[in-house]
Amino acid sequence: MEVTFDKYSLMIDGKRVFIKSGAFHYFRTPGVKMARDRFLKMKAGGYNTVDIYFNWNYHSAQRGEYDFSGIKDVRKVLEEAKKAGLYVIARPGPFINAEVNAGGLPFWLLKMEDVIPRNRIGTEYKYSPKYMECVAEWYDHIIPIIKEFDNVILFQIENEYATDSMEEDYMRELYKMVRERGITCPIFHNDAYFAGLWADCVDIYALDLYPYINPNQNWKQDNFCFDTLDNVEDIFRCAKDNAPPFIAEMQSGWFDKWDGSGYSHIREALGDEHINIMTKTALSQGVTLFNHYMAAGGTNWGDLACDEVYTSYEFTAPIDEFGVLQSNFYKAKEINYFLDSFDLTCTEPKDFDFQQENIYSKMRHDNINDCDWLFIRNMGINKKINEAEGGVTLPNGKTVVLKSCDMKICPVNLKLKACDIEFSDVEIFARLQNEKEEAVFFIADKNANIYMSDGTVIKGDKTDFENYTFERDGKSTQFIFLTKHLADRSWFLGDKMIFNADYVLPNGAVAVEKNTEIAYFDLKYKFAKRNCIVDAFSKTPSIEQLEISDVKFCAPEIDLDYDYSDWKKIPAGGKTDAFSCDIYDEFIWYKAKIPNNLTEITLSARHLFAVYVNGKEIINRNSYKLEKLQEVPETISVPLNKKILYREENELTILVQNLGFDKGFSGDTNNPRGLVIFETTPKVPVEFYVCDRLAPEYSTRFESDNPYLSKITVNFDINMKDNVFFAKYISFEDFRCRRATIYLNGVKIGRYIKRRHVQDKFYLINEFLKPHNTIDIVVWEKDRNVKSAWGFKSDLKNVKILLGTFKICQLFK
Amino acid sequence: MVVVPDFLIKRIYQKGSLKKFDDGASFNLKNVLGPGFISGFNYVKINDVVYDAQNVKFIMNGQEYTSADVSEDHPIAFRLGQVGTLVVKGEQSVTEGVNKIVIEALNPEAGVVKLSVEDNV
Repeated sequence: MEVTFDKYSLMIDGKRVFIKSGAFHYFRTPGVKMARDRFLKMKAGGYNTVDIYFNWNYHSAQRGEYDFSGIKDVRKVLEEAKKAGLYVIARPGPFINAEVNAGGLPFWLLKMEDVIPRNRIGTEYKYSPKYMECVAEWYDHIIPIIKEFDNVILFQIENEYATDSMEEDYMRELYKMVRERGITCPIFHNDAYFAGLWADCVDIYALDLYPYINPNQNWKQDNFCFDTLDNVEDIFRCAKDNAPPFIAEMQSGWFDKWDGSGYSHIREALGDEHINIMTKTALSQGVTLFNHYMAAGGTNWGDLACDEVYTSYEFTAPIDEFGVLQSNFYKAKEINYFLDSFDLTCTEPKDFDFQQENIYSKMRHDNINDCDWLFIRNMGINKKINEAEGGVTLPNGKTVVLKSCDMKICPVNLKLKACDIEFSDVEIFARLQNEKEEAVFFIADKNANIYMSDGTVIKGDKTDFENYTFERDGKSTQFIFLTKHLADRSWFLGDKMIFNADYVLPNGAVAVEKNTEIAYFDLKYKFAKRNCIVDAFSKTPSIEQLEISDVKFCAPEIDLDYDYSDWKKIPAGGKTDAFSCDIYDEFIWYKAKIPNNLTEITLSARHLFAVYVNGKEIINRNSYKLEKLQEVPETISVPLNKKILYREENELTILVQNLGFDKGFSGDTNNPRGLVIFETTPKVPVEFYVCDRLAPEYSTRFESDNPYLSKITVNFDINMKDNVFFAKYISFEDFRCRRATIYLNGVKIGRYIKRRHVQDKFYLINEFLKPHNTIDIVVWEKDRNVKSAWGFKSDLKNVKILLGTFKICQLFK
Repeated sequence: MVVVPDFLIKRIYQKGSLKKFDDGASFNLKNVLGPGFISGFNYVKINDVVYDAQNVKFIMNGQEYTSADVSEDHPIAFRLGQVGTLVVKGEQSVTEGVNKIVIEALNPEAGVVKLSVEDNV
């Protein structure tokens, strides 16, 4: 596959292609089946490209060791993308951010003393030969895999990179390294500052645009948030005039964080208006390559997350964390289908003398379809430009009625096979065509009209499938109307349309969740119908309570006289943070002997921790605090007394939960984790022994005497069938504990931590589900009101653990 | 630490806008980076004189914003292309010739944004 470009678009094997991409994280959506599901849904939604970050840290636990097996097999992910008919934008970093642990940089790299990650300290450039050696090692492993796939059309180096002095050595060296390893497609970098950065070091200049990054702001009210996007064509032309405008990350959602406003708030705030405005405005600016970041949400299972984010990385993406299509998917689908129907890869800005408060308008001439497209947007908050007010009267005398925060693409002088449209503010959904015939599908809109060149006006207030046929010179054009509701359930497969399905696969298989009459339309046979009777799954309740099979205390490490002689020894005075101990797991245990003359210990631990002396808890604390995007370290002192230190030599146990390393965008990936400070009063040397993980993660024989960590176990069965898509979750009721870690069949799938908000539903990642399943919930920190160990156990036995279903659909071939 | 390169941040300061007053100074900031918000000013330093947040006010579109008016919950919109005047009160700090100016502002998304420039009167 030969990929070239000019100032308008990318060309694949000499043919212009509009790149409609969406981001997907294989590490957050693990396994081939899940990747296949998301890719096929993307393809069904009109995306033709998937953007893939390759996460160095996910594959490399030790220098020189790379794991691309099992669910880490990226070759299989790329194969699935190819099978789904998607091009690939490959983004192997080395740094990826993506709110992953350490921004995707491996821990062994960060630990190396003579390495300066990303050749910069803060914003100061500092070239590090050792770092470049390590990058070469990563490229030597990942690029040969990427290179096997000829559907890889673009390759990114670094990620949102900048330094004060902007020396080009690093970027130029990365470019050279990629080329030397055989990548032939265009190379780009994504400039987060839309300032033309690195334009001369790459083939195609690209930028990232996120107008809504503060969920506390109302983007509809602060409508100037699109100022940059509204002028982005100028930025592209100034940066690199001979390459097509490429938005490498175009906002289609946003991530939530600890103490954030919650995904339901973000989804509601963005609505489907935001993706509509983002995408259509980009088209109005001549963009012919965009990448919705993200197309599919994911889950921070295992230790994937950076400290900032919780388990769900739903991202309010068009395809949510669970694989369910959301309203912004349907809006993206409308635009993607329109772009499949009318090739907008070669357009020029055209003068359009029109200005009105809160109205953005832009006209483009289409060199391929020989027509114009008017892009028009109403940003008047709560102000519909309605018919009574006369709508927006354009210089051509036509009136457009727009809802608040709505944007339309209106054809101007569009020549069809058997008729010509002078102007239409009824939007085009899709077009099927052959040499002699075409069917143009419109989305019905009671306030809009199609003005034909012969003076006829067709009102947009139509019902489903109402149609008009035009004949001219032996050719025919049919207009078919769909209501928005039906358009959402309509699927464009190039040569046919399928109606009423929840979703379809590129091979024409349809998915429905209840008995449905599916309609088909193609130019040869016109309409046909088929009944899909759902029989693959019985009427399962949408939610059911699971019976608790077992509750056990599970932290023998805290017990007095626990044998930790085989743990790693940290000499007295040695550093005890995660890097120094070489332990990067979420949980780190520390054990030591302390004398009975201590009056106080002072410690700083990242992020949550508990201190136990002689098997009894003396403090349990959530130390995680983020202010103005910066971590706020906390150091606290804990008083001790003879009652606590009742033995001559006392046993100290500290358990620290590391929520993840900094993602490295505005903070430092090397911010320490684990036990960062430990001092005693009076000062005495303390020799620590350290170990990672909680006992249930590595052993089945772990029951202990102390009640501080407990494990609740439930079992359930799933009827797994190939022709059924399902997404399941667990949630809790009457759960009085503030912290828990959830394991599905031994895989850590969630962190439950009660703060201002708490994630209350945890996705049971399909990849880890089996016909017979076990969920273990390790509870850390018992409710203070529960005094006795017996009472605590009894309390946990009364927790309601609910198994829910988000969505279940049967597939019909 | 905010990873916005220095040379980009510096573009916000309008060269030649520094004015000297008996009890302070003023200068202009123009947003050439992208639409955004200001959620506060930590301090402004001109040469060796530090003006803390209480002695800093920002005037934009004829409206004055003091530290009491601006916070993370009540940020000021700073549109692309918009110009505002930062006024500092307290003591005189501006000298003839080159003046070193440091502004530490807060942005809800980027956190602390520090700008160091030089300007003449």
